Amino acid sequence: MARGFDVIVVGAGHAGVEAARAAARMGCSVGLCTLSEATVAHMPCNPAIGGTAKGHLVREIDALGGLMGEAIDATGIQFKLLNRSRGPAVRSPRAQADKRRYGAWVAAALRREAGIAWIFGRVGRLVERGGVVAGVELEAGSGAAAGERLHARAVVVTTGTFLNGLVHVGDRRTPAGRAGEPPSHLLAESLKGLGLSWGRLKTGTPPRLDRRSIDFSRFEKALGDEEPVPFSFLTPTIDRPQIVCHQLHTTEQVHEMVQANIARSPLYNGRIEGIGPRYCPSLEDKVMRFPHHERHHVFLEPEGLDVDEVYVNGCSMSLPAEVQEALVHALPGLEDAVMMRPGYAVEYDFVQPTSLARSYEAREVKGLFLAGQVNGTSGYEEAAGQGIIAGINAARAVAGEDPFVLGRDEAYLGVLADDLTTRGCLEPYRMFTSRAEYRLFLRIDNADLRLTERGREVGLVGDRRWARFENRRSRFERNLRRVSGTTVTLRNGRRARASQALRRPDTMLDELTSGGGLRLEVGSGEEQVDVCSVETHFKYAGYLERQAATIDRGRRMEGRRIPRAFSYAGVPGLSLEIVERLSAVQPETLGQALRVPGVTPAAVALIGAKVGGK
Amino acid sequence: MFATDDTIVAIATPPGPGGIGIVRLSGPRASEIAAAILSGPGNLEPRRATLTHALEPSRQRSIDRVLATYFPRPRSYTGEDVVEISGHGSPVVLRRIVESATAAGARLAEPGEFTFRAFLQGRMDLVQAEAIHDLVTAVTPRQARVAFDQLEGTATAAICAVEDALFNVVARLEASLDFPEEGYHFVDAKAAGVEVAELADRVRRLIASSRQGRLIREGCQVAVAGKPNVGKSSLFNVLCGVQRTIVANTAGTTRDLVTETIHLAGIPVTLVDTAGIRATSDAVEAEGVSRARGAVEAASAVVVVVDRSRVLDQDDRVLLRQTEGRSRLVVANKRDLPTAWSAEEQLEVGSGSPLVETCLIDGSSADTIREALLGLLEGKAPGRDPPAISNARHIGLLTSAETALRRAAAAAEGGATEELLLVDLEEARRALEEVTGKRTPDAVLERIFERFCIGK
Repeated sequence: MARGFDVIVVGAGHAGVEAARAAARMGCSVGLCTLSEATVAHMPCNPAIGGTAKGHLVREIDALGGLMGEAIDATGIQFKLLNRSRGPAVRSPRAQADKRRYGAWVAAALRREAGIAWIFGRVGRLVERGGVVAGVELEAGSGAAAGERLHARAVVVTTGTFLNGLVHVGDRRTPAGRAGEPPSHLLAESLKGLGLSWGRLKTGTPPRLDRRSIDFSRFEKALGDEEPVPFSFLTPTIDRPQIVCHQLHTTEQVHEMVQANIARSPLYNGRIEGIGPRYCPSLEDKVMRFPHHERHHVFLEPEGLDVDEVYVNGCSMSLPAEVQEALVHALPGLEDAVMMRPGYAVEYDFVQPTSLARSYEAREVKGLFLAGQVNGTSGYEEAAGQGIIAGINAARAVAGEDPFVLGRDEAYLGVLADDLTTRGCLEPYRMFTSRAEYRLFLRIDNADLRLTERGREVGLVGDRRWARFENRRSRFERNLRRVSGTTVTLRNGRRARASQALRRPDTMLDELTSGGGLRLEVGSGEEQVDVCSVETHFKYAGYLERQAATIDRGRRMEGRRIPRAFSYAGVPGLSLEIVERLSAVQPETLGQALRVPGVTPAAVALIGAKVGGK
Repeated sequence: MFATDDTIVAIATPPGPGGIGIVRLSGPRASEIAAAILSGPGNLEPRRATLTHALEPSRQRSIDRVLATYFPRPRSYTGEDVVEISGHGSPVVLRRIVESATAAGARLAEPGEFTFRAFLQGRMDLVQAEAIHDLVTAVTPRQARVAFDQLEGTATAAICAVEDALFNVVARLEASLDFPEEGYHFVDAKAAGVEVAELADRVRRLIASSRQGRLIREGCQVAVAGKPNVGKSSLFNVLCGVQRTIVANTAGTTRDLVTETIHLAGIPVTLVDTAGIRATSDAVEAEGVSRARGAVEAASAVVVVVDRSRVLDQDDRVLLRQTEGRSRLVVANKRDLPTAWSAEEQLEVGSGSPLVETCLIDGSSADTIREALLGLLEGKAPGRDPPAISNARHIGLLTSAETALRRAAAAAEGGATEELLLVDLEEARRALEEVTGKRTPDAVLERIFERFCIGK
């Protein structure tokens, strides 16, 4: 008898673990396929979570009931809130992780889920019948359950860089999904038979150095915040001691060495076909593309409290190992550093996400979901954000329910799904705050107000989180009334409504509560969020109203649905190019159609006339 | 909106008899329909004028000898397949050719439909499509020149230059927000505010140029006012160059409004002659006076005529006071007679607006008045360069762009951070993009295209 599950998740990286947990919490039996428990929620590149816009994604995942926020709060070793000098909408938490503890924490959390069964082995084939997923088949000789066929009603593929992965270090090319781990070739070919469109991308990682060989006193210190801001709404405070990172800079000599060896870089000698991310350039790219920069930042980041590997942030490269070693030694202060392993570039196949609906379900194969780096994104947070939504939708598909789709005006998670499935990827996709046109609404301080109720509705938010949230929301509402109803004394002696006083750029809430006669209600361990969400509500009021007006205008377009399998060729006046693009993307609404690259407002007006409705 | 998958046909030349008249076909079946209604075997050779006959639907009889040219897509006016058939410019002949084409499957084009298709096919942007309308409806050479420049893309270029500069600021602000730890200096909010203020000034200058542009495109109305029998109608006739209204020595000869359109250096000016404004008990005259006051109110400029051979009285003073602050020219008439004004009175009349002294009975003052009026209409800097902007829709959008830019600049000065400035800057960008049609909602499109005449 073959084993069967409601949902099978292929891969236990950041996307896979969120998908498996979400589906299990929603009552599904889940089979989680991974090669080894040691690489669950692994961080093969930067040992950090968060950053601008990425921190927003983590808060949103947490607000929906996901894992990532609690995991990093429990295992982070240095926390920093970015963009502190700017407004609350663009502040974003970032933390260095102890990568081993992070993975172990997540694995333990999944082990506590009764609905998840672990399957150690390599998935070789997706089983599909008549455009509907039926399960997966494990590769022969790939582990405990070799050759076994597993039935499932939904499959979530989260294979990261493993599909036909190829690792480059100088001239050395090794088929691998990550350094030292064999790639998935059979699964890649099986998925390619399903009519999805494909592309090839590249990413890279820097060398790792031995902590014991570095004299850190020679570098500038890079410190975290004194009072760490947690990622999760459930974490009251973080009082673990924090580690120190260090900063140095590249020199002209280093740049000259890179130039002298550039022909040995697979990035520059034509051996790499995949397209790399422009926002995360390799050292080769930095030197070649920005010759006017005299120096570039380099950060030394420990990969954990009791790990000797140090991550050399800012120096991702794929030059031959001996060149990398020489380059490291040329960095001032690292003359004697021992390189434990070289950096590398990895090329991999990805599914062009325009083949997917915004639920991450493949349009051509019912029950097949894809999430994470396999969809062309980069970053653990982007992966986790897709994983949780794909997991929710896999569970809903099994239950015969409508897809769960967040709007661009509701969450960065909505922006992510819409961008990927509408525009596709020309380079690895990373989230930025500038991608969110409703940025002022999508803040870390209101992620729970935006999303926790949605998470509760789909069955992902447990009772503990829900009770805490309900208190927090009613506190928020009472605080709004207090601020609107209290008259305070300002520094200049004048009296004004607290809500009006807060609109001035230089008046902050703590000034009104400490001396102005305003009293706020705060939850224990929730001051930060309580104060910030109230303050921002009033500080941004004028701008929020204007942005709200835009959202209303936008919603009209978002509300006009385009029927499934709509024939664009049948719309008079559309150019052939636009017909091709729209047919490939199959947008679900007129608003989405307008965001497809190259599609003009005039074209959308024509489609609107055909689709009808207002 | 129009259907756009069929083949349309219309007469492209003006109605009425002419030397040549053109029927234009556009759409996927243009070539096929042309073959069906023209004599001779097979399809037309691309881009080559072919002498042939236009036939009746039965193909039994010729309608006219014509010259036909086939422009295959995309290099045609609409970007679709186009056939132009030039016949003799008889309305009857051209109509019969069109009927033949509709019998062969073409549809009669709606107003503006050819240009709409050109826009859809990306052959021109919105500003250019609008310019085509202006060009074909131009009455004066200056109107034609402004419209043609816009068709050639001068307005688009001017707006795109601002848009580019704005996008540059926006990109740097966004980069500062999204890459706070890169260590590269993009731009700080305060410095960006200064750049934005400069951009607002640039938009302001574009709008300022539009004052003249609109004047040329839309023209204006000028009311001639004064108390009875000071020479208003003489002035009106001198400007019109014809005896348009009755001139008599009897006060109150003009009872109703008389209008006439003249061209002043390429600007269409509608002149309104009014009844003499004075207190009166005559019912008919009172109605005339009331209409005169209305015309003065509605006009964009006023010419106040005063008789300098008579002492200023209450009626003169009331009118001068009522038109104070308006765009106004004062004409002190009857220079041929000795003045009755004291030095103070002379000063009183001349304060606040240009003053010319004239003698209207012999017409020798015509040029002086024209020049003074033109100066008044064009403002201080008469345009040597053609203005880039002349269309009210563009001016409205540019004005909202300027407002948003000013708001951002002020916020930056007040210490607002990047993400807030960007709300206003995005609003400004949206307005600028809407001018050229990159983000125009369909309602605006419809509004623009419904104003076209058939066949253009």
